[in-house]
Amino acid sequence: MLLSILIYGLINSIILALTAIGFSLTFGISGVANFAYGGFYILSGFLVWMLLNYLRFPLLLAIALTIGVVGLLGFITYWIILLRVRGIALSEVIATFALGVGILELFRYLGFVTYEFTLPYLKKGMILIAGVPVDYQRLYIIGIGLALVLFLYFFTHHTRIGLSFRGIAQNERTAISLGIRSDWTAALSLAFGCAMGALAAIVILPLGIISINTGYEVLLIAVAVGIVGGLESVSGILIASLILGYTQVFTGTYLKPEWMMVVYLAAIVIVLTIKPSGLFGKFKELEERV
Amino acid sequence: MSETILKVEGLNKNFGGVAAIVDVSFEVKKGELLGIIGPNGSGKTTLVNLLTGFVKPDSGRVFYRGVDITGKKPYKIAEMGIARTFQMVKPFYQLSAFKNLIIPLYSSRVRRLRGGMYGDRDDVAIDLLEDVGFERDSFVPYKVASSLPHGYLKRLELARCLALRPELLILDELFSGMSMSEVASTLPIIERLNGEGLTILMVEHRLKELFRIAHRVIALNFGSKIADSPPGEIMENEAVKAAYLGSEEEGEDA
Repeated sequence: MLLSILIYGLINSIILALTAIGFSLTFGISGVANFAYGGFYILSGFLVWMLLNYLRFPLLLAIALTIGVVGLLGFITYWIILLRVRGIALSEVIATFALGVGILELFRYLGFVTYEFTLPYLKKGMILIAGVPVDYQRLYIIGIGLALVLFLYFFTHHTRIGLSFRGIAQNERTAISLGIRSDWTAALSLAFGCAMGALAAIVILPLGIISINTGYEVLLIAVAVGIVGGLESVSGILIASLILGYTQVFTGTYLKPEWMMVVYLAAIVIVLTIKPSGLFGKFKELEERV
Repeated sequence: MSETILKVEGLNKNFGGVAAIVDVSFEVKKGELLGIIGPNGSGKTTLVNLLTGFVKPDSGRVFYRGVDITGKKPYKIAEMGIARTFQMVKPFYQLSAFKNLIIPLYSSRVRRLRGGMYGDRDDVAIDLLEDVGFERDSFVPYKVASSLPHGYLKRLELARCLALRPELLILDELFSGMSMSEVASTLPIIERLNGEGLTILMVEHRLKELFRIAHRVIALNFGSKIADSPPGEIMENEAVKAAYLGSEEEGEDA
């Protein structure tokens, strides 16, 4: 029992981290809270499904194409929607949230609401880890989660675009005084965030069905993990995911599975009350406000 | 020293009805070291912000090497070769001093000037840091900027600008907050850079040090240019004397 909680708690935590990281990445770089994130997440799922079922694409091609297209859509979203309201945080949230709701409800309107919409496992079957059965798909999720963290580390430390991301994130005025284009960087941050959301959707959605309500839940997860960990810190995201992931599995095991959703909401309320910048956040002004 | 690198024509800027810069015009020749002085609040930093695109003028024009750069974005102006320091230091606080230089060394300007891929970025960064007085073989270049003393951060501002390989360097009160010995060791660096042909526009409160190296000095008061003369003569100017009116000592210490 305990072993099962340990293993599934870890898997659940990695799922949360993978779900939230694209949202946090965008916010950490450009300060844009992309509330269309859940919309893009579900769009990615349906896009893969349509490429597989309507156009009979091979799975890997469908995945690669979807990640690319959704990244591009994020990029375009910045220039068409966000540029006009840039710098007004509330308007950015409203504009992106409206876009997200628009995407999700469009699919509902088009009838994408039945149980036939599922994505295939990358690999079927399961293994036993110390007597606990774990399917390959969940192992893939762990692997891809770890690979993404390693990639992000390399990307932000050793590539030109990654370094310009960090420059803009840490001091926008200095960065632009060195010739870094702030709008391009922000648009790219949105593209990367959306592409990571697409990747998360493609590996996580096969565990269940592609449901429109999942889109709203994904946004809630991203916001909860971001608020608990501090929206701009990768290590914060990982630790917040572990806290929330294990709390959820404990809640599901010892209380009732229905209470698992409450964990996010409770975490948001508790953290905002006690430490508004998040456990590892750097924007301390929130605490200093009088 | 004949070619004009920067030409400012009738620049005006108001902030909510307060005139920050009033009809300022001047030219900077290539290779010149021009000082800009004035009491606190006389518009020096606003002028720097106007030249580098951080603030848009209400009217007037700025030409850089004959190209109108008025109202262009700061990253565009930086890309063209104007680098600036900030009076209030603005390093990338969570990066080491060394990484602070890697970012400009990756900039499109440097890649254009040096060719896309070159492997010695690390060496260039550490050389630049040594140039401005970081101890090369110590751990100082690798400490995060937030843990460095103010004097080092000031010199990091200078190194970051140099990494961009500028043709016009604008220093906004580089010496403020530096110790006497730091100023004494930084002064020859600026002199040397200028001697190598770099055009420098230097906003400064430490008048004695500035007058030692500047070719020409412009004085501002309440946003207007009140004098433009060689450093030896500027303090003889009645308007400049009146502007500083006994606050000269304070100005030198600031």
